[in-house]
Amino acid sequence: MAEKVLSVKNLITAFRIDKKEYPVLRDISFDIYENETVCMVGESGCGKSVTTLSIMGLLPENAVVQQGEIELCGEIISGKSQKELNKVRGSKMGMIFQEPMTSLNPLLTIGHQLTEGLIRHKGMSKKEAYATAVQYLELVGIANAESRMKQYPFQLSGGLRQRVMIAMVMSMQPKLLIADEPTTALDVTIQKQVLILLNKLKKTMNTGVLFITHDLGVVAEIADRVIVLYSGTKVEEGSAKQIFENNMHPYTQGLLAAVPNVDKDDFEIKAIPGTFPAITETIVGCRFHPRCPYATDRCRSEIPQAIEYEKGHFVACHKVEEENKC
Amino acid sequence: MLEHRSALIELNKLKKYFPVKRGVNLKALEDVSLKIYEGEKFGVVGESGCGKSTLGRVILQLYRQTSGACVYHGKSIEEVAPKYIEKEIDNLLNYQKKADEYYKKAVELDKKIAEMDEKIEALSDHGTKQEVAKRRKITQERDKLSFQSKEYKKDASRQLREGSRTVGSLILSAKLPEIQRLYKQAYNATVRAGEYVKDYNKYHAEYSEMLTKGEKPAQDVMDKMREASENTKKCRDEALTCKAKALSMRRQDILPITERCLDEEYQHKLDRNYETGINLAKLTNKEMRSLRKDMQMIFQDPAASLDPRKTVGKAIEEVFEIHTDYGKEMRRECTMKLLEDVGLKREQYYSYPHQLSGGQKQRVGIARAIALNPKFVVLDESVSALDVSVQAQILQLLEDLKQRQHLTYFFITHNLGVVKHFCDRVMVMYLGGVCELAESKELFRKPLHPYTKSLLKAVPRPTVRENYEEETVLEGEVPSAINPPKGCTFHTRCSECMEICKKVKPTLQEVEPGRFVACHLYNK
Repeated sequence: MAEKVLSVKNLITAFRIDKKEYPVLRDISFDIYENETVCMVGESGCGKSVTTLSIMGLLPENAVVQQGEIELCGEIISGKSQKELNKVRGSKMGMIFQEPMTSLNPLLTIGHQLTEGLIRHKGMSKKEAYATAVQYLELVGIANAESRMKQYPFQLSGGLRQRVMIAMVMSMQPKLLIADEPTTALDVTIQKQVLILLNKLKKTMNTGVLFITHDLGVVAEIADRVIVLYSGTKVEEGSAKQIFENNMHPYTQGLLAAVPNVDKDDFEIKAIPGTFPAITETIVGCRFHPRCPYATDRCRSEIPQAIEYEKGHFVACHKVEEENKC
Repeated sequence: MLEHRSALIELNKLKKYFPVKRGVNLKALEDVSLKIYEGEKFGVVGESGCGKSTLGRVILQLYRQTSGACVYHGKSIEEVAPKYIEKEIDNLLNYQKKADEYYKKAVELDKKIAEMDEKIEALSDHGTKQEVAKRRKITQERDKLSFQSKEYKKDASRQLREGSRTVGSLILSAKLPEIQRLYKQAYNATVRAGEYVKDYNKYHAEYSEMLTKGEKPAQDVMDKMREASENTKKCRDEALTCKAKALSMRRQDILPITERCLDEEYQHKLDRNYETGINLAKLTNKEMRSLRKDMQMIFQDPAASLDPRKTVGKAIEEVFEIHTDYGKEMRRECTMKLLEDVGLKREQYYSYPHQLSGGQKQRVGIARAIALNPKFVVLDESVSALDVSVQAQILQLLEDLKQRQHLTYFFITHNLGVVKHFCDRVMVMYLGGVCELAESKELFRKPLHPYTKSLLKAVPRPTVRENYEEETVLEGEVPSAINPPKGCTFHTRCSECMEICKKVKPTLQEVEPGRFVACHLYNK
């Protein structure tokens, strides 16, 4: 049985705007096991990034975790101070961001940035750290790793920078890797190289991966399990197969219908009508009902609960619930 | 079917180099030639740095091209009367005179060559050593002269070709001064017509302003409008009669400037050179600005292309302020109508950009672009920053607008899925060159170029597959455009690279009707 790496229970995170608190995450729970990639998808503003920041303890000042428990490798990390979190961040969980240029320091060499964490968290000597760094650069598929160590970020292309970021994070051998849109800024060919690399590393190092993206194509390629978020609520969760072949929630279906598929010939791009609700908007009942083609009176008054229909396949929707009753 | 459509934009060997430092250029575009037809959705795909954005901007003359031509057919020179045409008309006699001079020089040289040939004949190569040496010397000289004569002939026909751009085969006519006068008269009439059109627009704006205010339009404004439109027609007619008169002189009194001149075939060829479109690169900035009404652009990041301190309404109205004579009420009314056209609410006239979502901001960007009823719109990654569901909404809106306003799109993107379902024709670019150009259905059904194939393979698909990791990936990264690889630019990453690919650059060839590919694999 694979070990549980991360467990998030009933997480509610809110943003303070004009002295009022508006929840961005509304009761999110999920687990990530070893050697598993969990993809979180949804439109921008649905709370994907806030989830990762809540886990990492990197929320901006006007955000508060109102409720919930975050457990990393059996240790509860929610509510810890920044100082205590510093021991966990980097060593037990690492994060890769979307834009590799902004997360690398342009004034320091790649080598300096790669060894910094090793020396600090792992207590290695400079020489050991250097050797490890080179080894990881080779692992992520960078040729002439030794000469790259002396280069500055601006000398590398986008794909290479992202590989350096991955090497930096993975050299700490974290149990949990959080990747927030790591390939969105890359071209498709480079994206594929990076995705295959991430998948390989996950297997060899037995890491749990939380992968944030809005590209459903990418999700289908690498996910073991998928969580679909809409406006801070988890509307559907299931294995990649369940989500792509047996999806139930109208939102998931709408999202998939909107993706222009290169393989299909007669395909009409269908849009979900309406717009994504702002966090300040109060919606009674299901958050999706104003845009849902199947909305009933019940959807307008009662918040649907997530129900498990198949093993590991959760859906929060009244329509699905009623259809499966009879 | 494609032949029946008329081209809107024609590019010919377009090049764009960005200077990096002395002697070093970033070759963003290399010899791009293509036609964009009226009413089509033309897609361009490629990785970042392949030159797709540069191409879009060069067409709009936001960057001036290094060489090559970009011809716009949406308006004819009869409507616009750009200054460069006047210069060309003034230059007509010069072209003819120079062609004549060059050709005469060539003829003289030919005479000399003939003499030399005789001399060579006279000297047998079995003669004495001296004779052989002399013969060799003369032969060398003759070869030099014959080369020169050929160059002169080329120069002569080049001059004629330049001239034929403005007047077609009339450049050969003996009555060229007369023709030049007629063309000049036509040109001046066109310029006058342009001024009357401006007047008309001004009065028309006044008139519509009164109508929107709910007033009865004043009689004198209406009279002025009628007068302006009558004058415009008079000038147009004058221009047309002049041109018709000039054209009636075709095939008559042809000067035998070069030996080919009397050949009907050659005359037809010169006639085909006659340019009806507008060469954008030759326009002055002011002229280009007036053409911008016809050619617009929608950018990628809607947040960055809107002024955060201006309300949505003001941002759209600005377009009318700059390009039209509309009064205040009229501008407001047009803006309100536009907001509805792009799927926004009238109330959003007063919103600031930060109050809108990404999709709504993009709708404002679209409203600004289509405000002046353009013919040609460049969309530079316009849906790439949006979420899939919003992206689908915007694509639907673009499709509707295209049908309603008969737009032609130049759609730049890196998302192959979008291209497939949105565009009629697709061009694949790599390192500033064109790899493949085909109808989008055909391209996706059967990609020919190895680069297109590997691009298609790399696209993430929303279906779960088992063998994802075993699939081949395109190795390496795009080389630098400062020093692109010799031969085929793609050969460094190509899985089917042959010897010839490393040396010879493949040209774009039509392998099937409407299907172009630049690859040695398909060279017969």
